Amino acid sequence: MLNLIPGIESTSSALNAERIRMDVVSQNISNAQVTKGPDGQPYQRQQVVFQTVLDSQLQGGATVQIPTISTDHRPPILVYRPGHPDADPRGMVAMPNINIHEEMVDLIASSRSFEANLAVVKSARSLAMQTLSIGKR
Amino acid sequence: MDPISLIRQTPPGMQALGAGNPALQRAMDAAGQGTLERIPESVMQQLSRPAAGHIQGAGGPGTASFENMLGGLVKDVAAKQAQSSATVNALLAGKDVPLHQAMIASEEASVSFQLMVEVRNKLLESYQELMRMQV
Repeated sequence: MLNLIPGIESTSSALNAERIRMDVVSQNISNAQVTKGPDGQPYQRQQVVFQTVLDSQLQGGATVQIPTISTDHRPPILVYRPGHPDADPRGMVAMPNINIHEEMVDLIASSRSFEANLAVVKSARSLAMQTLSIGKR
Repeated sequence: MDPISLIRQTPPGMQALGAGNPALQRAMDAAGQGTLERIPESVMQQLSRPAAGHIQGAGGPGTASFENMLGGLVKDVAAKQAQSSATVNALLAGKDVPLHQAMIASEEASVSFQLMVEVRNKLLESYQELMRMQV
């Protein structure tokens, strides 16, 4: 198969990985107030781990993948809310271990790296088109 | 075109021309020393290969492979187009296809199509150039 746009394989995989990271961040933000998950425990923060994969088709070119989405095992944040249905006998409610500022920073980092990869795609495409215009008179 | 007669006519000052091609350089050196007959067969094959690659005689041995090459290019472009439209269709049908993958596929299809058009333009141009030649 002819490969006209250089580096498109790794960039595509990186875009995919960043998309998954953004999914996970939005999941964390939307579950920041959930005190009872399916297992009866407060929601626990999820985080992605990136991993390099050597692509045999790219002659040793490296692509990105997310092997697993791991759980952040920091303890839940205890808040005093005696009237809450999930409060313990002392009136403390276990809130998810999510710091909204941390999530926003993650979201910014993720969207910036997505943009960086988009810029690579754009520049590779325009270089390919300009190279093709060598033949024009 | 016979490379040997070309080399025999090459004046010593022109030998710098062969600097890019080691086989040609060796052959030129040999020609300068009058030992052209002793050039091994492999060098001669190396010498004649670029000429066969550039000048495609009608009905010559290179025609079939050149045709195959063009056909392969067209097939590749068609495959890219098919892949692009499949990806876009899957995206529009709500399948689990990321947006960027669809865009990248359609960009690849467009760039390879452009390449095909450029190759076709070049071929047509050289054909017309030949047709305009005074006989």
